[in-house]
Amino acid sequence: MNTLHLYIRSMGMLLRSQLQYTSSFIMQTLAQLVMEGGEMLAVILVIDRFESLKHWTGGNLFFFFGLMSVSFYITEFFGRGVTGNFPSMVRSGQLDTLLLRPRGILTQVLCSGVDPRRITCIAVGVTALVMGSNMSRVSWNILKVLALAESIVMSCMLILGLFLIEGIFCIHSVKSVELVNALTYGGRSACQYPIDIYPRPLKILFTVLAPFALTMHVPAAYIMDKPLYGWPTWTVFVTPLSGALVFAILVMLFNRGVKFYRSTGS
Amino acid sequence: MRAYLSVFRMRLKMELQYRGAMIGGIVCQMFFGIVLVALYHALYASKAQAMPIESVATYVWLQQAFFRMMVATDQDLYDKIKTGNISYDLCRPVDMYWFYYTRIAAQKLMGSLMRGIPMMLVAFLLPKGWGMTLPYSISGLFSGLLALFFGLLCMCALENITMAISMRTLDPKGIAGMLGLLMVTFSGNLLPLTLFPDSWQKIITMLPYAQLLDAPIRLYSGEYPVSDLPLIIIRQAGWAAVLILLGIWLWERNRRKMIIQGG
Repeated sequence: MNTLHLYIRSMGMLLRSQLQYTSSFIMQTLAQLVMEGGEMLAVILVIDRFESLKHWTGGNLFFFFGLMSVSFYITEFFGRGVTGNFPSMVRSGQLDTLLLRPRGILTQVLCSGVDPRRITCIAVGVTALVMGSNMSRVSWNILKVLALAESIVMSCMLILGLFLIEGIFCIHSVKSVELVNALTYGGRSACQYPIDIYPRPLKILFTVLAPFALTMHVPAAYIMDKPLYGWPTWTVFVTPLSGALVFAILVMLFNRGVKFYRSTGS
Repeated sequence: MRAYLSVFRMRLKMELQYRGAMIGGIVCQMFFGIVLVALYHALYASKAQAMPIESVATYVWLQQAFFRMMVATDQDLYDKIKTGNISYDLCRPVDMYWFYYTRIAAQKLMGSLMRGIPMMLVAFLLPKGWGMTLPYSISGLFSGLLALFFGLLCMCALENITMAISMRTLDPKGIAGMLGLLMVTFSGNLLPLTLFPDSWQKIITMLPYAQLLDAPIRLYSGEYPVSDLPLIIIRQAGWAAVLILLGIWLWERNRRKMIIQGG
């Protein structure tokens, strides 16, 4: 509980300090809006030209896209310490100061960054979700709301976990590793469309290794009454837990990795 | 002239240093390419389009291969603007605009060749429909290469305009981000320009962004007949001239009003 309190305090402080530069903040937030809007434009244009993707309608595709944007950018909003700052903390030796303090490394890293500019990206994602849900004529009930909430939370944990891989590599090799982007940003690009359209190797990659399909596509397909692979309803609430599992495994590996940390000395 | 040539050469050599990072970059870029091609395969299974899937795959691979040419930025220059070290460059007996133009040209050229050539080799080996196809004709290949050269001229000019603007705002992220998005969208990287609505084609193919990679790729794949080459080159050269003049004007204005950041 203490940790959570600490995290909320840090977030508040960081947010206030970022909002000090109002005009720069507004500019960058708008830039984010345009950027994510561009991503959405691509989806709109794809739907305009192709109308549907296998058995998924245009509305379904908006819903998948929205779910990915919301989860991805909530993670980047609150997990900036892991998704953005960590490599430079290792390179500059800033991590040393964290090692001296009587708190977990990961907690401190998470407390070190927040990225409120992502709020507009999240807004675009929410718009896409609402549009998708209207166009697919989703009849909402309490179970579906729960499924959506669980899906978003678990997807955030999954994404944060995948970004930790980069952190682990970073501790060992000092340089940030572009290759890991294939899983994080590559996963975002690939899994903003439903998994069952892809050939088998990609399906396996995003179901087993980086289970975006389990945390996002299974619940989303259920919400739109088109169960993925015809799986029964209970799977909708069980499969997203894989997000927490991936996160737990990577936190463990991360903590082991930190033991091998050697300061760059600067 | 000799000064600029040696700047160009030195920058080429510097770019060659980062071979380790390059391999990771290539693998990552290839992965993005495969995901995109897979997506278009699925989309084509729903509704086939006039442009054959082989051409879409080739389009995607060429865009990925030359991605570096589009997004490479002169990080040194950003840092110099932020720290005020740009004042040292003002003392050099060269024209600032062309000094940075040649630097970025070398960086973009070498960066994309180093990544693009291995990527294209691998893409040729992929099965039909997934990988790259050979050029439509030999003359198509050469006219594509010529158009790529003019495209590079436009790209460097655009980059220098972005730099000029961030020199005024001191905050590279906002404006550069937006201009970058325009580039990624309307150059065909996010979605091949050929798949944009037909009613948009007339306008988007005229924009400077389409001159960078879209025009060369369409020449390569025979989408544009070789007989159109003079027209395309005129369009590209025209945009390059306009963008360079605009850039020079912006840089000149910046130079007069420059306030150096202390530090």
